[in-house]
Amino acid sequence: MKVTINGKEYEARQGQTVLQAARDNGVYIPSLCYHPKTGPAGKCRVCIVEIEGARGLQTSCTVPVKEGMIINTESENVRKAQRLVVDLLLSSGRHDCLACEQNGACELQDAAYRLGIERPTFTLAPKEQTDNSAEFVFREHAKCIQCGRCIAGCNATVVNEVLDFGFRGHDTKVICDDDVPMGSSTCVQCGECVQLCPTGAIVDKLPRGKARTWQLEKVETVCPYCGVGCRQELHVDRAANRIVRISGVEDSPVNEGMLCVKGRYAFDFVQSPERLTAPLIREDGGTFRKASWDEALTLVASRFGDVVKKHGPDAVAGLASAKVTNEENFLFQKFMRTRIITNNIDHCARL
Amino acid sequence: MVSAPLIEKLKKTAGGYPDQRSALLPALDMVQRENGNHLSKEDIAAVAGLLGVTLGKAYGVASYYTLYNTAKVGRYHIQVDTNIPATLMGGQAILTHCEDMLGIRAGETTPDGLFTLSEVEDLGSCGTCPVIQVNDVYYENMTIEKTDALLESLKKGILPEARNESHFGSECKVLLKNRGDISNRSIVQYRKRGGYAGLEKAKALKPVEILDAVKHAIVRGRGGAGFPAGMKWGFLPQDNAAPVYLICNADEGEPGTFKDRQIMEYDPHLLVEGIAIAARAINAKKAFIYIRGEFRWIAGILEDAIHEARTAGLLDVLDIIVHRGQGSYECGEETALIESLEGKRGCPRLKPPFPALKGLYGCPTIVNNVETLACLPYIMEHGPEAFKKIGVVGNAGPKLFGVSGHVNKPGVFEYPLGTPLKTILQAAGGVKGNLKAVIVGGLSTPILTAAEAETLNMDYDACLKAGTMLGSGGIIVMNDTVAMPPIALRTIKFYAHESCGQCTPCREGSVAVESLIEKLLSGCGETADIDRILHLCDTIIGSTLCPTGDAFAMPIRAMVRKFLAEFETLVTANP
Repeated sequence: MKVTINGKEYEARQGQTVLQAARDNGVYIPSLCYHPKTGPAGKCRVCIVEIEGARGLQTSCTVPVKEGMIINTESENVRKAQRLVVDLLLSSGRHDCLACEQNGACELQDAAYRLGIERPTFTLAPKEQTDNSAEFVFREHAKCIQCGRCIAGCNATVVNEVLDFGFRGHDTKVICDDDVPMGSSTCVQCGECVQLCPTGAIVDKLPRGKARTWQLEKVETVCPYCGVGCRQELHVDRAANRIVRISGVEDSPVNEGMLCVKGRYAFDFVQSPERLTAPLIREDGGTFRKASWDEALTLVASRFGDVVKKHGPDAVAGLASAKVTNEENFLFQKFMRTRIITNNIDHCARL
Repeated sequence: MVSAPLIEKLKKTAGGYPDQRSALLPALDMVQRENGNHLSKEDIAAVAGLLGVTLGKAYGVASYYTLYNTAKVGRYHIQVDTNIPATLMGGQAILTHCEDMLGIRAGETTPDGLFTLSEVEDLGSCGTCPVIQVNDVYYENMTIEKTDALLESLKKGILPEARNESHFGSECKVLLKNRGDISNRSIVQYRKRGGYAGLEKAKALKPVEILDAVKHAIVRGRGGAGFPAGMKWGFLPQDNAAPVYLICNADEGEPGTFKDRQIMEYDPHLLVEGIAIAARAINAKKAFIYIRGEFRWIAGILEDAIHEARTAGLLDVLDIIVHRGQGSYECGEETALIESLEGKRGCPRLKPPFPALKGLYGCPTIVNNVETLACLPYIMEHGPEAFKKIGVVGNAGPKLFGVSGHVNKPGVFEYPLGTPLKTILQAAGGVKGNLKAVIVGGLSTPILTAAEAETLNMDYDACLKAGTMLGSGGIIVMNDTVAMPPIALRTIKFYAHESCGQCTPCREGSVAVESLIEKLLSGCGETADIDRILHLCDTIIGSTLCPTGDAFAMPIRAMVRKFLAEFETLVTANP
């Protein structure tokens, strides 16, 4: 169908909201509480637009497009309302961008930039309140805009049911269980709330202060842990040759941006000095010595040969790993069946 | 601690609801009552486990509603209403007096643990202010002397019996026809006076015939919006397989409004009959009366009346549950009320879908105000034409007007819609002193100057034409001793306190306006601050998720614009 946005005609699909249609067509409408995964919430009121024929201003995240709809996202009334909302949000928190992890990747900062708001009009910020109790997630209440994305994610997406809104009005805040520090709560640190937070209110704890968002190169890969095959994005500091953080890939049909605590946070092994970098062969005394791949593989092949010769092929079993690719798993079972000649092959994901 | 007998009681309460999670609010209340008026985290967790809600949800609810005491309170919880009607009628002085007598500030508990003093929002007792609520008991029409006597008695461990009286009058004899004689509460007396004749007639009609009669009568919703009840019912889906629910909105909390309690407290069967008629019309088998928790004794009166009606075989298959709110103005909004009834925080839902299509538990639901439903027996008994003869064209029927503030006989008066404001004020004993301004539809409607109110007729259309709204018909009268900036400050403090916190313009806009008025009153304000208040109000109107943004932006804007000089003086007096 055709819709008109700011005087220009665009294609839109049936079932889309005005916000989705605008985004698909590259028209920027500031929005904070909407996330494709958690759906329209209509709470932040920043995505407000004018729709011809509709009474008053409308939230573009909740109104479905209609054939021939005429939408204005830039009128004076719209801008006035959008600016007020962003101004109020900036006024009601401690949105100091200088040392904020989300600087450059913050949706509130983007909205303020696009609407030209340099500093807030009012002083309504709560006291500084941080929660450093959890192992991987750091929370800063004064940067929270009560959009509810983390709560929707925790309850409806990953269904861990830890986060919720507590208190009310200006005192509303995101609580863990019965308002205990995250580290004492039932949270399993999946980090979905970090993934969904539009500001710096919930961030990954370990990389704080380690690198600015724009200095990191994003490298997409598949999680090496289990057989689900979640797609993830490594945020890599090339200069230091380090992975700084990991996030889920939102458009991956496998995990839709979700990761588990291991996939998102347990990547320190990559840079661990204890990591094996060469084959080790155990000497008779029990000590290990470095060896070449040729020597190691020859040793393994001959020992397997000995066992098969002495006890038969069924004396050998293979257990494949979920950490390797499908292709590698295929090769492994092929090897077990055609070279060792046994069906003793299994996979850790079955356990 | 949740005792074993209480667990059984909680399970029984939960079993009365289509979804046991709906019992969260009453369950937390029951547990609090068993534990010295205190709700501990352990008890919240126990209730959450029992009802199958997450700990976060349960604590979110416990910390949302003001009637839950997550901090310990004294044996006597003294709650003084200081909302606008109370302030006009001496509530602040009573609070200050309590502070002096108890040696504590509002929000504190005496060292002996006997008293906790709280400043609270509107108790729905505007005509009988000042009012002090001690635990569950209302002490109305308080004076300094009466307060002293009350505190003395409490110190001796005696919670005295409350003897509350208020003014009333009825020109129409429809809604308040049985007011005045407490024996009319009983079903015997109610039937003797012709009660349940409307329901009998309705039972002989097909549901669609009842619907047509109500549509024809044009009963505009008495809760405040003025939307015709029959039209609302007409939005219910046809050929619908899901159950239909009827909810009676008895969460009377709009400051200046104390009308529904007149019906519920003195003529409960009128409401029960109205509910039974409406339920028949919309084919609802389950109805709820959502009543504000502070009206605890009235909820009891309603439960007795429902029991009587059921025993008399009048309700057939209809089940009516009285559900007590737990302290939230926002729950007067119909979708917030539905959320609350589902055991959640009182945050309004996005509309559409409207409750008629997707309401309680996602099923078609009709929410009607007490007074609206109480009009139905008359329509059934006498016909829609008779109803339309009361009032003016397009504004049919009787209306309850609560008059509070600076009048000689504050109270509730029943007049036809379209009655001149002057007539109603005269019924309330006339204005004390010189009229300065009047709010005619509850605190959330724009204030009128004396000149604007001079010739006003009290109906939906006339009020709209005069730049205000009839709202709930809560008339707050101010004489010329009133300074408007402090009234504006107390007004916005109320809305900031009651904002559910869900959407930005209401949550933060209300505190922004509050901070600006406070700044002006502290003598640090500048002219630009007045412009900022007006800019905030102008922009907030129409930009919030529910009508609460309008509910404070419109009256504050009117107060500032119409009494601008008083705000400007605050600046020029302190250059």
